[in-house]
Amino acid sequence: MTNALEIEDVVKRFGNHVAVDGISFTVPRGVVYGVLGPNGAGKSTTLRMINDVVAPDSGRIQVLGLAPGAAAARQIGYLPEERGLYPKMFVAEMVQFMGELRGLSRAEAARRAARWLERLGLTRWAKNRVQDLSKGMQQKVQFATALIHDPELLILDEPWSGLDPINAEVLRSVVEEARAAGRTVLFSTHLMEQAEKVCDAVCIIARGKKVLDGNLAELRRAAAAHGRIALGFEDAAAKAKAQAGPLADPEIVAAVRAPAAADSQELVVELRSGVTSDALLAALLAAGGGLRRFEAVTPTLHQIFLDIVGDSAAVAERRDEALS
Amino acid sequence: MSARARAGGREALVIARREVLERVRSKWFVIGTLLGPIAMLAVILVPALLAAREEKVVKIALVLRAAAEVAPAPGPAPAPTPAGAAEPTAAKPAASAPSAALAKELIAGFALVGWRAHVVTDLEESALLEQVREQEINGFLVVPADVLGGGAVTYQGDNGTSAPAMARLERVVTTVVQHRRGIAVGITDEQVLRMLAPVLITTKHTTGEAAGASGMATFIVGYVVMFILYLAIILYASNVMRSVVQEKTSRVVELMVAAVKPRALMAGKILGVGAVGLLQLAVWLGMGFLTLKYRDALLGLLDITKTGGVSVPPLSLSQVAVVLIYFILGYFLYAALYAAVGAMVSSEQEAQQAQMPVMTLIIIAIACVQLVANDPRGQSAVVLTVIPFFSPLLMPMRYLLGGAGAVDLAVSIGVLLVTLAVVVVASGRIYRVGILMVGKRPSARELWRWLRY
Repeated sequence: MTNALEIEDVVKRFGNHVAVDGISFTVPRGVVYGVLGPNGAGKSTTLRMINDVVAPDSGRIQVLGLAPGAAAARQIGYLPEERGLYPKMFVAEMVQFMGELRGLSRAEAARRAARWLERLGLTRWAKNRVQDLSKGMQQKVQFATALIHDPELLILDEPWSGLDPINAEVLRSVVEEARAAGRTVLFSTHLMEQAEKVCDAVCIIARGKKVLDGNLAELRRAAAAHGRIALGFEDAAAKAKAQAGPLADPEIVAAVRAPAAADSQELVVELRSGVTSDALLAALLAAGGGLRRFEAVTPTLHQIFLDIVGDSAAVAERRDEALS
Repeated sequence: MSARARAGGREALVIARREVLERVRSKWFVIGTLLGPIAMLAVILVPALLAAREEKVVKIALVLRAAAEVAPAPGPAPAPTPAGAAEPTAAKPAASAPSAALAKELIAGFALVGWRAHVVTDLEESALLEQVREQEINGFLVVPADVLGGGAVTYQGDNGTSAPAMARLERVVTTVVQHRRGIAVGITDEQVLRMLAPVLITTKHTTGEAAGASGMATFIVGYVVMFILYLAIILYASNVMRSVVQEKTSRVVELMVAAVKPRALMAGKILGVGAVGLLQLAVWLGMGFLTLKYRDALLGLLDITKTGGVSVPPLSLSQVAVVLIYFILGYFLYAALYAAVGAMVSSEQEAQQAQMPVMTLIIIAIACVQLVANDPRGQSAVVLTVIPFFSPLLMPMRYLLGGAGAVDLAVSIGVLLVTLAVVVVASGRIYRVGILMVGKRPSARELWRWLRY
């Protein structure tokens, strides 16, 4: 079977700004896939190209074995970052209308719209105008417009932005259901923690370029193999002794990261490749001990991202968030 | 390929259906459809009613210049009357007697049309102007001593802009002066009156094809049709623009263009709004036709006496067809332009400014209506009804007035169709790019780039 999505060396410029700069990744069928990165990294532009909302300047995109366009659109469900519905339409008709545009017959679309509204607890509101609904209920209607035609590929752009806890739970169950039914879910987010909870695989991009991609478990294992250990000391003296001794030994330690607070007795140590945690522990004990904590750290996506992209991207991310 | 085109057509129809439902369900549609013609009727009838009721008395002063002041110059006076008739008036001694008779007849003549005139003497023009300013009189008529010999009568008054009032004034003065001239050359009163008896003329409009109808009625029908077309085109074409802007401001546009091609979205929108427009136009034309047909009964209800047997020329099938063809083509042309304008802006306020170039085209067309109405077969009418941005408004009128033949129609429609094709393609391109843009309005250079995407 073809992959759900193949992106090959795709480039998109807006004027002089290169929004997407040679990105490639592949999403197998039945996978929950996250496109991650700071704001302005090019995530939304990538998703828009997959939806044929904008055309790439170069590169190749295959959606379920098809070029982006009318035929592919019938198998895609899309939740845009900019949520929007026709305010004056009746709720049931809005959902039915999107179903018809995605290829369902009118009768079939009406039937499924009723089913989705019932499932989302909106049946009472079916004959109300969209503009009369609360923001949270409008979000549910938006979900229904993306799901009515049982899309093979569900594309969610920043799905958590502006979502209340109830709808976040609805979204989670929708994604779970799609996964269970063997459908593919592609979403973008700048929230690494959220992505970590639901993704099978990710592609991290920054400034229009791919940083890394792959299966989440494998990425973690690879990062963990780097050997990252959190240390806690009894007091400042024990910490200073260790820093002067084994932690300064380039044969054992590749890098030491001190936390921001100067009076903290905590440190994170990255081992040189090939050095085991046992070797570090032995060296620390030999140097006088005073340890309160010794723990192998499983890297979070955020750490992996920071490790690879570096501090400059982190700064860029903070600036972008301040702007947005 | 054809399957894809069919799918695009299906989507455009789904979108058109949505647009129709959204409009037809709104209460403003019902109100507008029913009350629109009533409002239009009111615009036409109320001023007429007011004018009819406000038959107030006009007061004027008569100034008769003494003969002594002006030595009648025999010969060189540019006499509008047949040469020779003026000569006997050169008799000086008779000057004061006829002028008294002239004044008496003028006062009597003005009284017949409801004006009150009185003779003033020894008053400077500035004093008379002062009286007009104080609204003591409406105006004053200065009659020179050599009026019978062709001297010019002047009138200055606050009703100088009123065409009916000036027509009355002219009629009274002309009749009286001609009467006096007749007396002066020595024909009897009875002979003069017989000569001056009005000539009855009726004018009918025909261009040779059918039996003539009343010229005035034909003109009114042509004018009303033009006005309805103007209203319908501008209402509905600009409605397309508003609808595009609303999709942008409600952010639903991204959902839409992910599901369908922008081309299908634009086509569906224009078709849907147009269908509603056609429906409303049909209702309006129907009501307009009924109004004209039962006009006398309606006017009777409003207490206006019959204005004479003005018969409404019935619209033939070909005339109705021409009106509909131009409505549809004109609507498509302007709707495509307005859709592009809507795609270029991000708010209603901006849209108001950005639509100025399109509005200007329509305003120019309206400004040229008189040129076509006055001479439907003239050179300017021929040229104007070929220009594609004007022809949808002007050609139906010209055709109804009988100024256009089959060849004129074919050329005009052909040019319009070609323009329409070009505009639809260009607007489609601007729409496709602009619809996703938010923020700054594009410069002319950016627009040019959009066109070539």
